[in-house]
Amino acid sequence: MPAPEPAGGVPDGLGSPDVAALIPIVRRIVAARVPDPATADDLVQETLARVLGAVGRIEPGMLEPYAIVTARNVVASMWRDQDRQRRHQHRVVDLRPSQSPDEGILAREDRVAMTEALTRLSERERRTLLAHEVSGQDTRSLAAELGSTAGAVAAQLNRTRARLRVEYLLALERVEPPTGRCRPVLIAISGGDRRRQREVDAAHHLLECELCARLSEPLMGRGRDRDDEIRVAVRTDSDVVAARQAAREAAAGIGFSPTELTEIATAVSEVVRNIVRFADAGEVLVELLDHPRRGIRITARDSGPGIADVDEALRDGYSTYHGLGLGLPGARRLMDEFALASERGRGTTVIMTKWREVG
Amino acid sequence: MTSSPRLFSILRQGTCLIASIHTALDDSQLMVFQRDLVERIGRDRARGVVIDVAALDVLDSFATRTLRDIAEMARLRGAATVIVGIQPEVAFTMVRLGLHTGAVSTALDLEEGLAVLGGRLAGPAVGGR
Ligand SMILES: [Zn+2]
Repeated sequence: MPAPEPAGGVPDGLGSPDVAALIPIVRRIVAARVPDPATADDLVQETLARVLGAVGRIEPGMLEPYAIVTARNVVASMWRDQDRQRRHQHRVVDLRPSQSPDEGILAREDRVAMTEALTRLSERERRTLLAHEVSGQDTRSLAAELGSTAGAVAAQLNRTRARLRVEYLLALERVEPPTGRCRPVLIAISGGDRRRQREVDAAHHLLECELCARLSEPLMGRGRDRDDEIRVAVRTDSDVVAARQAAREAAAGIGFSPTELTEIATAVSEVVRNIVRFADAGEVLVELLDHPRRGIRITARDSGPGIADVDEALRDGYSTYHGLGLGLPGARRLMDEFALASERGRGTTVIMTKWREVG
Repeated sequence: MTSSPRLFSILRQGTCLIASIHTALDDSQLMVFQRDLVERIGRDRARGVVIDVAALDVLDSFATRTLRDIAEMARLRGAATVIVGIQPEVAFTMVRLGLHTGAVSTALDLEEGLAVLGGRLAGPAVGGR
């Protein structure tokens, strides 16, 4: 069974000449819908950031279709009530009962949708998932009960979660997918299962199915609890320290080892330094992930001049200022996933992720 | 004048300077540290410098380069440099990054750093003044 994107592996399309190639089409889509150039620039960057964030979880053939539907989604969500949507999305993986009972109608809607989604799983899937997520039973003891192995149980749990997220979103929106292909496509996207995405031709389906296009983005694991995000504005040297310390603290909270914390902080330092050096201002977003397992994602964006030759910038020994030239390639080596998209004259986005060991 | 006394301190001990970094420094602060330390080496006619980096949260490419630059400037002024206090996880990360302190000596802690310098200053390579 293809596991969710393994850690340690560097995704294809790294350094992202693939993503860079998408910029013209993304720009065209956005520009056709948004007249204001500054807003359009923002939305293009936002789209690229999202596509980059998903690079490791979608098969290469789906990159362009995903960029196209994401660009449309980004534009559309600008007009929609974003806040409401976000609050829905964060619960996609949260199975625990709501913390405060008076979170109001949104929480209730969430719970109803989650309950409904759970009923759509098989009895065995549901029991295993709840035993693990709610009762905290570990995969080894579950395996003993089920006459299976811990690895097989973990893989099954991942597939169940992938299905549950799909059913949850469908229940939340109270829609039944219009075609028989929708569920397989959505589940393949939700699970980050690239082989399966190819098998069901998710790329093609995304472009012709409005529902799946819309749901693909929350399924890609973008929206989540706002508490799990920290933003650091970057203008000066001291912001570099603030960013790396924010990332370290966040990572410490989910149990990374001291060495991993230093690797994360160092990678952030290298990447964010580039914002201070080459762009006037930028922003670092630190997000904690829990799908397909726990991890941390750092997105560094700036509206600077862009990098002329991305491949070269990622090659060891590259040097623009009097540094050692280890900045970007070094950061890439310290993280599990690293992607960079740069647009001349408009800005650069780096997204890097580190996953916790399976445990 | 030595600025930012809270960020780092530079103390004299015999013919040596002990430079301790007290907290995470950003790039500008590292440059101030470099400037102050090199200036002190000249003013105090120091023959040895121990730089304690235990409190630095990371030794990224810029910090590593700065330390190497300091050591090189110190050497040109006749002083030997030992870097002490590189934490294990920092060392591990430096190795993964392909960073190294070059020809600069390192030692585990301040005491050992001073011993390294003592040995070197007492050795035949360093003549009297
Ligand atoms: Zn569909």
